[in-house]
Amino acid sequence: MLPNIDVRIANMIKAIEQVVLPALPKSERLARDQAMLVAGHLRMITGQWKNALRFEQVTLDALIGLADKLSGIVAEPFAGELAKAAECARAADRGNIDGLEAAYTALGHVIDNAILGGPDHVPLPQAAVDALFDYGSRNAQLERTWFKAIGFDPDRAELPEIADVL
Amino acid sequence: MTMTQTELRAAPADGVDIWNRDDMEPRVREILDRTVRDRATGPYSAKTDAEIVAMLQRFYAAQGLSEIAISDVQRMAGGASKEQFAYLLRHSGDAAGERLVLRMDPLEAIAQTCRGREAQLHDALGSVLPVAPVRGLDVNGVVLGQPAIILGFVDGVTEPTDSKGHGVSGMGSNYGDWADKLAPQFIGALATIHGFDRSNSDLSYFAEPTPGTRQAAIWQVNAWSKLWWDGLIQPVPVITYAERWLRENAPVCENPVICHCDLRIGNFMFEEPSGKFTAVLDWELAHIGDFHEDLAWACQRLFGMLDENGEFLVSGLISRPEFLRRYEEASGNRVDPDRLRYYEVLNAYKCAVMDLGQAIRAATESNNHQDLVLTWLASAGAVFLAQMVQLIREA
Repeated sequence: MLPNIDVRIANMIKAIEQVVLPALPKSERLARDQAMLVAGHLRMITGQWKNALRFEQVTLDALIGLADKLSGIVAEPFAGELAKAAECARAADRGNIDGLEAAYTALGHVIDNAILGGPDHVPLPQAAVDALFDYGSRNAQLERTWFKAIGFDPDRAELPEIADVL
Repeated sequence: MTMTQTELRAAPADGVDIWNRDDMEPRVREILDRTVRDRATGPYSAKTDAEIVAMLQRFYAAQGLSEIAISDVQRMAGGASKEQFAYLLRHSGDAAGERLVLRMDPLEAIAQTCRGREAQLHDALGSVLPVAPVRGLDVNGVVLGQPAIILGFVDGVTEPTDSKGHGVSGMGSNYGDWADKLAPQFIGALATIHGFDRSNSDLSYFAEPTPGTRQAAIWQVNAWSKLWWDGLIQPVPVITYAERWLRENAPVCENPVICHCDLRIGNFMFEEPSGKFTAVLDWELAHIGDFHEDLAWACQRLFGMLDENGEFLVSGLISRPEFLRRYEEASGNRVDPDRLRYYEVLNAYKCAVMDLGQAIRAATESNNHQDLVLTWLASAGAVFLAQMVQLIREA
């Protein structure tokens, strides 16, 4: 692709930082803040866009893994619902980001219902809580790594590179 | 602190149904219901200076002022929630004019709150703390077109002018040598708020949780989980489990007090070079609840920083043990580590709901004046997921 996406993003960042920002009066703090955020978002996207499909695949796979574990622990009807929803998620088109996101959301709703124990709030076995925490830790690490360029994470120095977690 | 099923069955007979999602402050419910009702009326566009002048002319005319002149309108930066403008108001009764701040709700923000509650707290606490005076109020946006509070302009800074830079919403600011001047006032403000006698104040937009019950905690869980479920974009299992944990482990609050609930780095102003506080800002999340909620909020990792020795500083000011010790000394309250831990989980939950729920919903609907800031903040959501897992595991 000519010009390629990286070059075009770099061009946009340069335009904002070297043309737009210097043209904004110092008194226009909101406009300046927003311009800097645009540059920041673009810089972050530079490190993400090539891995976006892989990111969605990995996050869906992790959620399917959680559903599989929970279905072996929780009682019916939740176990059956989880197994069925996990099968549907496995059938998602792995080459389509929108399709992967939709599959994630559909499976997530079924997992939510199992966590809450339905309308009667059936107790959640400790093994299910442990599985949730294992998943939660890994998923949080993945997402913190994905967004570490934003600079908010107080422990960002300890996070790996995106390529290392996908 | 995680309850076993036996302990759950032995939970206090306080009449609080931990799964009754309808149990919350009436005014909070109105605001949250209004959020859902009005969501589809977007998108929202940032107001122009001309629009602001027209809105204010209308507002002051409705107040009976004449020869109204609105000038020097300046959009204010900062804040992930309210759209704010400074301006000068002149009219027939005040030729010199007064510098004021219009603080109004966009259609949706990272938090959905009530300007009337904010005004009542400014009025109530103004006698004991530096807070901006309330100069006008349109609680439901009947005249202005959107809910708003008008405050007197207060001079001061939220970070030293010689600091090395600032982050969104004040996060990441470095107080450096200023900490010695600011920390005592920060702690003193918390102690003053928690010790405030509200018996003679008009706090009619607030409801009081029943002392000696779990209602203070459950009201918060119900309000924030409603915000989450009403705006859900994508399920997050850890958020769902945290909600369950927060219900099943809700502590009793013996003595509910006013809690600011966002008193941290960036939400107080001070003058230079004295360092004297000129205003405690952003009362929008305040409610009557457990004082541990404020302490836990101030202690959040994201609102602090590490000093040169690697020690965590609460709000960039003071070490956590010292902060808690000096708070106890100033307030006379005793900090319960279990309750503090509970509210650390609740506060991480609130932040996750704001970042991964409401912020993304508002930005997706294009219902904020700075959607870009919301998606930027949303990118920090996983930090709170990790904190929730760690905190609940350790509890």
